[in-house]
Parts: sequence; structure tokens; C-alpha cells
Amino acid sequence: MADYREAPLASRPKSLDPNEYFNLSSDFRRAEEDRAAIRANLKRQYQLQLNNPLRKELIEDPALTQWVYARTNPYPHFRPTYKTSLLGAVFGVVPLFVMYYIFKTDRDRKEEQIKAGTFKRPFSLSS
Amino acid sequence: MLKILIPTLLLIPTSWLAKAKWLWPTTLLHSFIMTLFSLAWLKNTSETNWSTLNPYIATDPLSSPLLTLTCWLLPLMILASQDHLAQDPLVRQRIYITLLVTLQLSLIMAFAATELTMFYVMFETTLIPTLILITRWGNQMERLNAGTYFLFYTLATSLPLLITLLALQNKTGTLSLLIIQLLGPIPISPSVNIIWWTTSLLAFLVKMPLYGVHLWLPKAHVEAPIAGSMSLAAVLLKLGGYGMMRMMLILSPLAKELCYPFIILALWGVLMTSSICLRQTDLKSLIAYSSVSHMVLVAAAILIQTPWGLTGALILMIAHGLTSSALFCLPNTNYERTHSRTMILTRGSQMILPLMATWWLITCLANLALPPLPNLMGELIIISALLGWSTWTIIFTGAGALITRTYSLYMYLMTQRGPVPNHMISMNPSTSREHLLLTLHLLPLLLLVFKPTTIWGSAY
Repeated sequence: MADYREAPLASRPKSLDPNEYFNLSSDFRRAEEDRAAIRANLKRQYQLQLNNPLRKELIEDPALTQWVYARTNPYPHFRPTYKTSLLGAVFGVVPLFVMYYIFKTDRDRKEEQIKAGTFKRPFSLSS
Repeated sequence: MLKILIPTLLLIPTSWLAKAKWLWPTTLLHSFIMTLFSLAWLKNTSETNWSTLNPYIATDPLSSPLLTLTCWLLPLMILASQDHLAQDPLVRQRIYITLLVTLQLSLIMAFAATELTMFYVMFETTLIPTLILITRWGNQMERLNAGTYFLFYTLATSLPLLITLLALQNKTGTLSLLIIQLLGPIPISPSVNIIWWTTSLLAFLVKMPLYGVHLWLPKAHVEAPIAGSMSLAAVLLKLGGYGMMRMMLILSPLAKELCYPFIILALWGVLMTSSICLRQTDLKSLIAYSSVSHMVLVAAAILIQTPWGLTGALILMIAHGLTSSALFCLPNTNYERTHSRTMILTRGSQMILPLMATWWLITCLANLALPPLPNLMGELIIISALLGWSTWTIIFTGAGALITRTYSLYMYLMTQRGPVPNHMISMNPSTSREHLLLTLHLLPLLLLVFKPTTIWGSAY
């Protein structure tokens, strides 16, 4: 391999670690080299588009487009599992009942106090 | 009133007969002149609160700020759409302006209506131009889905409202707002009392939107073109609030028990929608959810039916109308340059477009309810009113307010600060049209700091 030196912000990728390199099977090495070739091709495409003097628009990243689409359209792929049902109940159903209980008891208590005449109004506020 | 309605109506022939070169300046100037006349509505000198009275149309301190906001928004919508329609054929530009004007007419008549029937008919009429705007001029394939959601959410709840109004007409013999506010409790038979109460409010709650039924809003706002987004956010949501304020007068004694589910949904909605904002990747979607979180506060405030609640609701509606519309114009300036709404793609614009960063800053600060802007005043009054309703609401409103500040700052920092993406070239500099657009949004907001009595409404 060519001289690959580590830089402060670029650590050595695992496939080029000399301690590991000679222990790997040749199948694994071939797969790693194929993946490196794909990555290099993608980088080349990007560089071609980046340095194209006639380009006027944004470079489209299909991975980003797919990711944004996936983030914005989760509903068709929703599957009711234990985890999602639990989350839905904890964040969507239970709080409503808890809040109803809290508000109802608080306001009923206040109403009783007003009817009994014991409700204290320390500030003179309109409301 | 006629001096506004007839020029608005005649803006349609203007847009069809103006020459191509003069189409946009003419319609812009025409709508600005109408806005100037509409400012006269803000002066309310009558003791009974109803001015410019006519058998069908009147204004009162509740509707006049909303009417002025509507009239203010038409020139802004025309100004904002100028760029992206420039490459459309001339006929389509004329149709676009005609749609905007039709929307404007129906909105003016809706806010100014004295009869609930007319209000209902105009409420429905506003759906049609908005639907056409979203589905024809939206930018992605999802616009068809968005239009469907928008139309059917609103229709499904407003057809029961029609039946309710007809039942009310049968029972009381009148649907005029001036008379209804003076009637006592309505004699509806106890078996259908609850249904009647719910159906009369549900249409407006869906329009507002309330948290459980808010799904149409992010879709419609994101897919609409800029003028559609502006009018949706600024005015159409307020139709729901205004309708609620008018209807609650009649619904009174039952409201004390039945308002609980909706207030609870509203308060929980503040927390949930603000938290969703922090997780958005699409900028317009973030602003849409921010709209939801502000409007559910308004819904809660109207439902508790205290004077402060109604005042705070009206102030927040006006302030949010201006702020939200400005917030939609800003990513549109980005979108026109990069054709992308993804937040990560458009970082660091403070470096590229420094003047636009000023507007981003002021608008994000307005959104996060910075004092002394009316956004804060409305929120404070609403939070105090809810506190008077029950002390425990402060948990939800306080946490919701905190998350609102967080995501507003997050939006500012994501779009303005940070590294500029490498592959962005040829960003046209900000045009003076865009600066004018944002100035015209923010200037009324700043002016309202000095005279909030214009947007206080009739509860004071």
C-alpha cells in the first residue's frame, strides 16, 4: 500500500491498519477494496460536479434526498409493535387522562372554596 | 365597507386587462391603496362596538384587526409571488392573481359578516382558491396529498357546522351576531346538547388547528407556494379563531364542563408540537409546526372564555399572523435560490446574505416572543388567563414557551450560522423586493408595540 500517514483529524481506517492487514482473509480484503472503489467513484462524481464551471444549481445528494423523504413520511411505514404502542400510550393517551384528573380536581376544589366563601384572593386582578 | 369590497372585486378585471409589463406593479399598487383604506377600520368610535354597520356587514374591535391584517397581506402575497411566477405564462400569472383576490374577497366578507350563515359560506369559499393554489402551484408531488388532507379535514367538520347553524336558526329564529350576543341560553334538547356544542366548535378547532386534528397543517403549509403559505398561516388559521370567538357566545353554560377535553388537547399540543419542531429536517415544516404550537395556545385561551383570554388570543393571532407570514417568506428566499428546503443544506447564510440575516434574526426573535413585541404580550396574557383557570397549566405553558424559544433559536442558528456548504455557488444577492417584503411584515409588528389597543379586541 502507498504510504498512508495519519493526520490529526483523520484516523487510520481499519482496513489499512498494518496490525490487522495481514490477518485478514483475501475475501474480506477484496470486499474492502471493492467498497473503497465505490467510495472513490462517488467522490470522483462529486468532485466532477463540484468543479464543473458550467454548473449553476445545487449538487443533488440522493442519499440526503432519501433521508429527508424518510424523515418526513413515516406514516405509511408505521407498524404497531409493543414499543410503538407503548410510546403512543405514554405520550399520547395517558397524559390526556392525567391532565383531566389534575385540572378537574383542582377546579372542583376551587369551586367548592368559592361556594363556601373561603377562596382567598390575595391580589386584586382581573382575569 | 363598499369602498374596500368593490376595489377588491375590480382587482380581478385589473389583473386580466393590465398589460404584461405592468401586471405586477399595477396589482401591487392597487392592493396597497386598498390596504391604506382598510386602516380606517382600526378606529372604533362606536359605543356598541359595531361600526360600518350594514344589514350584512359590520366591523367591531374583534374583527377589525383581522380585517386589516387580511388587507395588508394581499400586497405582500403579490410581492412574494412575483419571482417564482416570472417564468409562468402570462395567463397563468393572471389566474394566480385572480385566485389571490378571490381568497381576499371571501376573507374580508367572512371577517366582516354579521350573519353566521354568511360567515359559514365565506368560510367554505376560502377553501377553494387555497386548494387550487396548493395543488396547482405547489412544488412537489406531495401537494396532491396535501390538498386532499386540507380539503377533507376542513369539510368533514364544517358540514356538521352547517347543520348546527340551521338548527340554531330554527330554534332562535335568527343567526345574526348582533342579536345572538344578547340572547340567553339556547333551548336545545338535553339529549343532543353535547353533540350540538361539539359540532359547532369542531370546524373551527380543526381550522385553528387543535392538536389532535392538526395533521393537515404541516402538509398544506409545506406544499403550498409562498402566497398560499402566507395566507394560510397568517389569515386562514385566524378564521378558525375568530369563528370560535363568535360561536362561544352562544355555547356558554355548557362550556364549563365540555371545554376540558379541548383545553387538555391544546395544552398537551403546545408541548408536543414544539418538541416535534426540534426534530424537523424541513424548514417550512418546522415553521408549520411552530404555527400549530402558537395557535393551540390561542385555542385554549378562547375556550376558557375570560376577558383576558379573549384579549390575549386576539393579540397573539395578529402578532402570529405577521410573524408566521414573515417566517414563511424567509425560507422561500432560500428556496428560490437553492430549490431545497432541507435545513442542513442551507446553513451559514449569514456569510452569504448578511442583510437577509438581519431579517432572519428579527423574525426568529419575534417568533420566540421577545419583549416588547406583541407576540410576548399575547402569550403572557394567555398564560396568565390559563393560570387563573387552573394553576397547573403553568407547567405546560411554561415548558411549551421554553421549547418555543429553543426551536426558534435552533432555526436561526441552523440557517444562519455554521459552515457554508461547499457546493453552493451562484446564490443571487437579496433583491430589494425581498427586503421590502420583510420590512412590510415586521414594521406593523414593531408599530403595534406602541399602540396595542388596536389589537386588544372588544373584551376591554
